[in-house]
Amino acid sequence: MTEDTRTSKQPTLQINLGGLVMKNPVTVGSGTFAYGEEYHQYFDVSRLGAVTVKSLSLEPRPGNKPPRLVETPAGMLNAIGLQNVGLDAYLREKMPFLRAHGCTIIGNIYGHNPEEYAELARRLEAEGGADAIEANLSCPNVHDAKNARGCQLVAQDPALVRRYTETIRNATGLPLFVKLSPNVIDIAESALAAEAGGANAVSLVNTLTGMGIDPETRRPMLSNIVGGLSGPAIRPVAVKLVWDAARAIQIPIIGMGGICNASDAMQFILAGATAVAVGSYTFRQPDAAIRVIDGLEDYCARHHVERITQLVGGMQL
Amino acid sequence: MPRIEDCEVHLNQEVAEDHYRMVVHAPGIAGEARAGQFCMIEVQEGLYPFLRRPMSFERIYPDSLSILYKVEGKGTRMMSRFSPGQTISIQGPLGKPFPLDPHHDRHILVAGGIGVAPFPALAEAIIGTLGRTPEVILAARSENHLLCEDEFHEMGCTVHLATDDGSAGDKAFASEVLRRLNPGPGAMVYCCGPMVMMKATQRVCSDLGLPCLASLEAEMACGDGVCLGCVVPTVTDREAGSSVRVCHDGPVFDAGLIDWDGV
Repeated sequence: MTEDTRTSKQPTLQINLGGLVMKNPVTVGSGTFAYGEEYHQYFDVSRLGAVTVKSLSLEPRPGNKPPRLVETPAGMLNAIGLQNVGLDAYLREKMPFLRAHGCTIIGNIYGHNPEEYAELARRLEAEGGADAIEANLSCPNVHDAKNARGCQLVAQDPALVRRYTETIRNATGLPLFVKLSPNVIDIAESALAAEAGGANAVSLVNTLTGMGIDPETRRPMLSNIVGGLSGPAIRPVAVKLVWDAARAIQIPIIGMGGICNASDAMQFILAGATAVAVGSYTFRQPDAAIRVIDGLEDYCARHHVERITQLVGGMQL
Repeated sequence: MPRIEDCEVHLNQEVAEDHYRMVVHAPGIAGEARAGQFCMIEVQEGLYPFLRRPMSFERIYPDSLSILYKVEGKGTRMMSRFSPGQTISIQGPLGKPFPLDPHHDRHILVAGGIGVAPFPALAEAIIGTLGRTPEVILAARSENHLLCEDEFHEMGCTVHLATDDGSAGDKAFASEVLRRLNPGPGAMVYCCGPMVMMKATQRVCSDLGLPCLASLEAEMACGDGVCLGCVVPTVTDREAGSSVRVCHDGPVFDAGLIDWDGV
């Protein structure tokens, strides 16, 4: 940040995300940051507006068989399958680290039915495991009995989105965010369903479904056959979906999908996102989210903007 | 603690067909690195390839690192074009090093092809830390793919050569050479190479009642244990789908822990 571009007053990056006060609008995509400890080796993770933890389920999940990962042009396909330590181990072994460092925690949760989501939210609130809940209704890599068609996600059915959201809403007083899928015909409909169900914000977007085939072996590149595409490859799609949703709903949006730097983050904010999440790029550059925070501050200073919230949905037509 | 360091390339030259040795100035990483650990190399500033490339340390010097690699795809092809004087971003050291156990009187390194990459550093560590000189079974497809033979000789190691086509040493697999050596109790075996070769080596060790450490390779996104993309199954609890992360729990494992049939 250069001195001559700064306004006399430090720009304010603080936001209120559906009741969750964040000191800056930058968090991380669930599953790209584990529970914070690993990346604390590279920077102070409490600098983030919030840490969004890897999806938590009531019981530990082993995840899918390898191979789980394929690099693609400007991105990657993954089919991890929500491998996670489970709620108890999170509360016992992972959460204390985040609390000790003063992190704001967004607890991402995954359940097999609305009641499991509700139970996760209730316990996270009761045991101080999260400051907000992000309900993952859109993971493409889990095959549960209820999702026997493989790619059928809760987030693809607005009626289900609403029902799940309502059930979780009734279980917790914490700010509730619902993470939606880009694999839908009308994202506005999904977002409206979450809003109607009582969500305080929506997270847009989870990965796009995709697959790869090795032409030599003629076998799928992922053991799960299909996976979720993330990274800059999906960014234009994600920005457009944020813009579509922002015009339909009143609640704020957490925008994500291929954010690598502050310019990328600004696209989401100008499209209508109040907060942003850095995802896969953290794998390439562990402190990417910190660079985004610094870059957003610099952007506000250069554009003589006092509060970043003034830029939300600020695309000029 | 791992770090990200901008490193100047000192040297990057082809040492065999499609095989390169790169030496980089990396005082921060080199100062902490130990044999068996690895680093993640950014192959270019753009977004394709999107991810860094995991590479083990061939040699660890006071302020520089040597990396031996094979051109396999787009990323390593770009690495082969690095020129001396160029600055590249390297993240490391990552993963757990080879444990050095003084209770063994014989150390045998079993290398298959480019799997030899972490062994010069290991040989040096065994000599320097344990005061013992390891033996090396160096196997490859053919003579011109045998790497590091001179390095091992310079360190005083006995080297047993084996090639698939018999162009140098025995026409045999590395595991067969190991079985023929028939090391007695007290020997420690370290292997690195193709999965089938490590699986065969583990079987020989199991038959001979020897401990065996395997250094694994996997596609990785983060290298830090975060993404869970590089897991391999273990025999601990097959039913429950137990697995370990190559990057963070390894890359060096007790070979008996790995479910080689599920890899």
